Amino acid sequence: MVQNTALGILQNAEDAEDVTQEVFVQVFESIKAFKAESKLSTWLYRITVSKALDHLRRKKRKKRFAYIQSLFGAGGETLIEKPDFNHPGVALDNKERAAILFKAIDQLPENQKIAFTLHKVEGLSYQEISDVMKTSVSSVESLMHRAKNNLKKLLNDHYQNKE
Amino acid sequence: MDNKKHIQGEVEKTLNSLEGIQRATANPYLFTRIRARLEKGDKSFWSRALAFISRPSVAVPAIVLTIFINTAIFFESKSEKVQVPQDVEQSFASEYNLSDNTIYESTIEPE
Repeated sequence: MVQNTALGILQNAEDAEDVTQEVFVQVFESIKAFKAESKLSTWLYRITVSKALDHLRRKKRKKRFAYIQSLFGAGGETLIEKPDFNHPGVALDNKERAAILFKAIDQLPENQKIAFTLHKVEGLSYQEISDVMKTSVSSVESLMHRAKNNLKKLLNDHYQNKE
Repeated sequence: MDNKKHIQGEVEKTLNSLEGIQRATANPYLFTRIRARLEKGDKSFWSRALAFISRPSVAVPAIVLTIFINTAIFFESKSEKVQVPQDVEQSFASEYNLSDNTIYESTIEPE
């Protein structure tokens, strides 16, 4: 559950494992603080989403810094284009389409990405997603609606460029 | 027109490509790695202290308190006037012949 969620958000197996470790360490250290106001699974999802987003932001900062360094001619690693992500749980005949979809999901704003990933990859209901994201069901519906519209635009551009 | 329909069809198929997705299975060594990390032991005093200080609930009040103390000291020092006692003033003035205000009032001793 934790690793699958992290994998859906981060789209990288090694990063997902690192985040999974961090989540379980955090759970171990702060289990006493869990007040059972929500379900344990909701609490786990919240920590996973939070850690995954932190990891994503750290990566983006590093990338931005490396790009600025490269502008000034300061050496360093060459920026490598992110390879297509293949989720191991996707059926074989859908793998190529799923890779294109994940690439588009990666470009969504954070909240839309989280809502879409939790719904489509983890199979959570809108109510469960609203508990995880501490928001209302109508907000989740709105996020999903905007996410789908944005994904349609991105996929449209992708297929038009392909042609 | 056909092209547009074709693209729309592709987009819909791609959007639905995650239907029936299964959960990814964890690496068998992941549990061992997590266990090893948990058993690594307690963090040192300094790392715990740093973790405590960096908590927003501690750091923000500390910063606010520091700014408040600095502001209070700044305004207090501004409003304070240095009070010199009267007798000290007078003895200083007489020692340096400062009691006379103009040159016409000062007495010049004849040679």
